[in-house]
Order: sequence, then structure tokens, then C-alpha cells
Amino acid sequence: MFPSGTFNERPEQDMAIMRTKTQWLLLVAGLIFMFTLILYIPLAWQSWLILVGIYAIAALGLHVMTGLCGQFSMGQAAFMSVGAYTTAILSTRYGLSPWATLPLSGIAAGLVGLVFAVPALRIKGFYLVMSTIAAQFIIVWYLGWAEGLTGGYYGMPVPKITIGGEALNYVQYWWLTLGLVVVAIFLVKNIQRTTVGRTFVAVRDNDKAAEVMGINLFRTKLLAFFIGCFFAGIAGWLWAHFFLYLAPNQFAFKTSLWLLGMIIIGGMGSTTGAVLGVVAIRFMDKMVDELTPVVTSAFPGWAGQIAPALSLIVFAAVVIFFILVEPKGLYHRVQRMILYYRLYPFSYQR
Amino acid sequence: MTVDILLDGFLTGGVYALAALGFVMVFKSSQILNLAYGQMIAISAYVLYWLLTTVGVPTWLGILLLFAFGAALGFLIERLAIRPLLGQSFLMLLMMTLMLGFLFHGIIVLIWGVESFHMPFTPTGMLTIGDWQVSPATTWGFVVCVGVFLLLTLVFRYTKIGLAMRVVAADHAVAQSLGIRVRRIFSLSWVMSGFLAAIVGILVGMVWMVTPDLGDIVLGKGLPVLILGGLDSVPGALVGGLIIGLVEPLGGYWAPAMREVVPWIVMLVILLVRPYGLFGQRDIERI
Repeated sequence: MFPSGTFNERPEQDMAIMRTKTQWLLLVAGLIFMFTLILYIPLAWQSWLILVGIYAIAALGLHVMTGLCGQFSMGQAAFMSVGAYTTAILSTRYGLSPWATLPLSGIAAGLVGLVFAVPALRIKGFYLVMSTIAAQFIIVWYLGWAEGLTGGYYGMPVPKITIGGEALNYVQYWWLTLGLVVVAIFLVKNIQRTTVGRTFVAVRDNDKAAEVMGINLFRTKLLAFFIGCFFAGIAGWLWAHFFLYLAPNQFAFKTSLWLLGMIIIGGMGSTTGAVLGVVAIRFMDKMVDELTPVVTSAFPGWAGQIAPALSLIVFAAVVIFFILVEPKGLYHRVQRMILYYRLYPFSYQR
Repeated sequence: MTVDILLDGFLTGGVYALAALGFVMVFKSSQILNLAYGQMIAISAYVLYWLLTTVGVPTWLGILLLFAFGAALGFLIERLAIRPLLGQSFLMLLMMTLMLGFLFHGIIVLIWGVESFHMPFTPTGMLTIGDWQVSPATTWGFVVCVGVFLLLTLVFRYTKIGLAMRVVAADHAVAQSLGIRVRRIFSLSWVMSGFLAAIVGILVGMVWMVTPDLGDIVLGKGLPVLILGGLDSVPGALVGGLIIGLVEPLGGYWAPAMREVVPWIVMLVILLVRPYGLFGQRDIERI
């Protein structure tokens, strides 16, 4: 809902991503804040921030697949690994510049995603989930098995990204990541308001009815998978050049579920929600990391296992809480708050 | 040599079948895929180990207590986590069971760390049947599996409660109009599933080494069996389990590294050609 006095008189106004002047102002201020944020925060938080960006791109892909098109994927981490290994192999073995592999990573991940999406023509719901779980396990198994290509379980090194012969430092890497995140958000927002996104939503809400209306079901589902996996591939590209080292166990089944948990907590079907969910979950994880020494000193007998166990338990508890109490997610809460502010002092009317 | 491996695989298939049966029980009655089931099995194995070594109860008592634990676990999950979500979209239920799995995994890691073990009562040596040698643990697993399936068939065919469960599986509205308490049947199916998790936990502790990753491993074996047999078919779980049990060593024989991934490939092929499984019910959907 827009502030009082905002009328949509032309279709362009109805479709606009940024409708009011306040939104533009907030957008510019927010972008400036995000771009400079890395300069004020300590080193430990810099890598955290970059990882938030990487996860956000992967989660946006999952949002297109799951939130918009209703095709559930529990293999997003594996599709990330395809992108990551594509750039690693092409740049170490074939000497390509990492910049050139950026689109290739996305396309490779998208194509692999298509292979596992083909059963989606006949199946949906549980069965599609199964197919993506199979994708997760088969891809990660392959990465460990094809030693000649990927270095097997011990992994492989990845070259740094350079501009003019100079490697990027953390601050520059964050600018690169943030740039890609902004582009990704813009693309997804754009998908959402154009024909493609509307066919996605139609397929999500009722695939039979969508087919009757003349939507090519198979093509739409494959396209959703391709876009979702393309984003995962881009996230994988960033991941590879950030860690400079790849091993199959970085892309565990758990990571896929974390991503799914992020878009659920953020709010299914909303782009802003997906990003919010990523930030919330990553922040929670960081807090757990910070708290671990305190808990460890309180229970020294459990010192070795407290860190992994706590992270699992807290994440599970938070997602369960959201599913039970606020299934619409964080974004819904935020929207309620904005609505309250706009209607103040007559907030009781809605 | 080859026959030995195949026979062992066939017998291990019994354990897989039991693992898949726990999914089928819940899915048949309430159309919920319980992805926490692998971790339920793992936590059962750890609880039995704890009862036997730390508490020091005799083996028979430990197993009895474990059965009670498994049933209680199933009951509590249904009552506290699943019942509030009845009628929600399937993704929410799926995520709920997954997160319960995370929770159990976290608890296992928290309490037992990276401890790994075989059940203390695991029979050792090799069993000779005719010309072939098999491990007694897998043989036990197979025998228990056949026993459980026979028992379930009898329950479903000849008891009133079994009949009620079949009606609920067929149609919730019809079941309700016949005076069957559908929610109570849901609860019962979860209790039975938890009970099965306890049984599989014991068997798995004898057949494989119990590690904190056991839950994911069992899930990885159970899901392909489930898809192969059909999500809602009890005989399908048995046949699927035995097939996967056979296919796995065959794949391993062809290329040792293939062993882990063969069940997943079988599953993908099944999803492509016959998504409802060998014995599952083909959905007819109304537009």
C-alpha cells in the first residue's frame, strides 16, 4: 500500500519497482550505506558480509525456482558447486581469465540444473524434491570421484581475481559482490513483473489451470530451473574466488537446506524477503559463533562438539519457530510495520 | 565370492526395506514425507548405546526401553510439531520434518560428539548357509524385516485398527464419516513409525558402524527405496529394499566408487519413467 495521494494512472506507474520519491531516496541512501559499510566494520565481519552477499545471490535463485514457480529444490548448494568448479577448472587448467568465466559458470550450472529438471515435466511436489536431493548427492559425489578434473576430496586451488594485474582485497571483493547482488535483485524484480514471472506464478498456483490457459508448462518449469541454477552458478563463482580453494564438502546437503530455510524465514515468494532471510540467518549464525566461547567455558566437558551442535540446533529452532508462529516470514512483519507507519494515527483501520 | 556379495546385499536390503517402511507408514495415513526419519533412527541407536554402556541395563531391558523411547518420540513429534501444521502446504511440513532432523542431529552431536561404535551385542564371525558365507548381523536384519512385514500384513488384514488405518489411507472424509478418528490414526501411524525407527536403529547399529552421520546415510538409502517401491505401498518398500540391496553391490562390483551413488541413479531413472514407483498408487488429479 502506498502513502495517501499516490495514484497509479498509467501502467508504467503500476509496474514501477520504485514508485515514490521516498523509495528512490531510501534506495540511494541504502546503496551508499551498503557500499561504504565494509569500510567501518572489523575484519572478521568483512568476510561475513561478503558471504552474506554470496548466499543472497544463491537464495535469490532459489526464490525464483521455489518462491515464484513453486519448483522445490533441495540441491541449490550442488548447483553452486557446479558454478564454482567451472570457473576453477577453466581458469586453472585452461588459463581463462576469471572475468570470462563469470557467465560460463552461470550457464554451466543452469545446464546441469536443466538435466535434473527434466523429470519435473512429469513430477511435482515430493517427487521433484527427491529429484533435486538426488542431484545434490550425485553432483557432490562426482566432484569427489573425478580426481583428474576436480582434485577429488582434497580439492583444488582457485586463482585470485585481478584488475590490472592486482588481486582484489576484501573491500574491493565486497564491492564486486554487492554489484552482482544489486544486479541480481534488479533482475529478479524485473522477472517478477514481466510475462515470464507471471507465468511462473500461474504455474505455482495451479499448474493444470496454467496449462489450460496456454502456458507451456515444460518450458516454464525448465526456464525457472535454468534461472535459479544460473544464479546459483554466479554465487558459486563468487564463492570460488573468495575462498580460493574448493573441496566437495563445502557444498553439503546442509547448505542447500540452509538456503531453503533462509527463503522460508524471509517470506516465500518475495524478493526482498529472500534477502532479509539470508541476512537474518547469517547474522544468527554469526551470533552463535560469537556465543560459542561463552557456552564452551560454561560446559568445558562438551568443548569439542558445542560449536557445530549449537549452530544446527539454533538454526533448526529458529526455522521451526517461524514455521509454527510466522509462516509468512519476516518480510510480512516488515510490511505490517510499514503499513502501521503509513496509517498512523489511524492504524486500527487495517 | 560374487554370490556371497550379492547375498549379503540382498540381506542388507531387508534393513533398507525396514528403513523405507517407516516413511511409508506415515505417508500412507497423512501424506507427510518424514525427512526426520533418518535422524530418528540415529538417535535411537545412540540412546540404546547409552542405555547399555553408560546406564548399564541388561540388553533385553535396553531394547524394551528403546522401543518405548521410539514410540514416545513418534508420538511427541506428531503431537507437538506436525499436528499444528495440518492442512498447511506440503513444503512447510517437509521443512518442519527436515528441521526436526537438524535438531536431532544437533542433539546427537552435542551429547555424543564424534563417538562411533557397533552395538555391544553384535554377533561376530561368519554364518555359513550351504556354500555361502554371510554376516550374521545382516541375516538378523533380514529375519527381523520379514517378521515385521508379516506382522504388519496380519495387522492390516485381520484387526479392526488395521482396517481403520486402511480406510484413512484411502480417504480421510470417508473415514471420518464412518466414525474413525482420523487424527488418532495419524498419531498411531507416527507411533508405529517411531517404533520402526527403534528397530532399524538396533539393526543398523549391528550392520554398520554408528556415527553422527548415520541419519543422513540411512536417509540416503531409504529415499531411493521409497521412490522405487512407491510412496504409499507397504509391499513396495520390501521389494524396493531388496532391489536396492542387490543393485548396490552390483554397482560396486562394476566400479567400486559407484556404490554410494547407484541408489540415487536408480531413483532418478524411476522418477523419469515411473514416478509413482513400482507399486505406488497413480494419482489422478482433478483440475
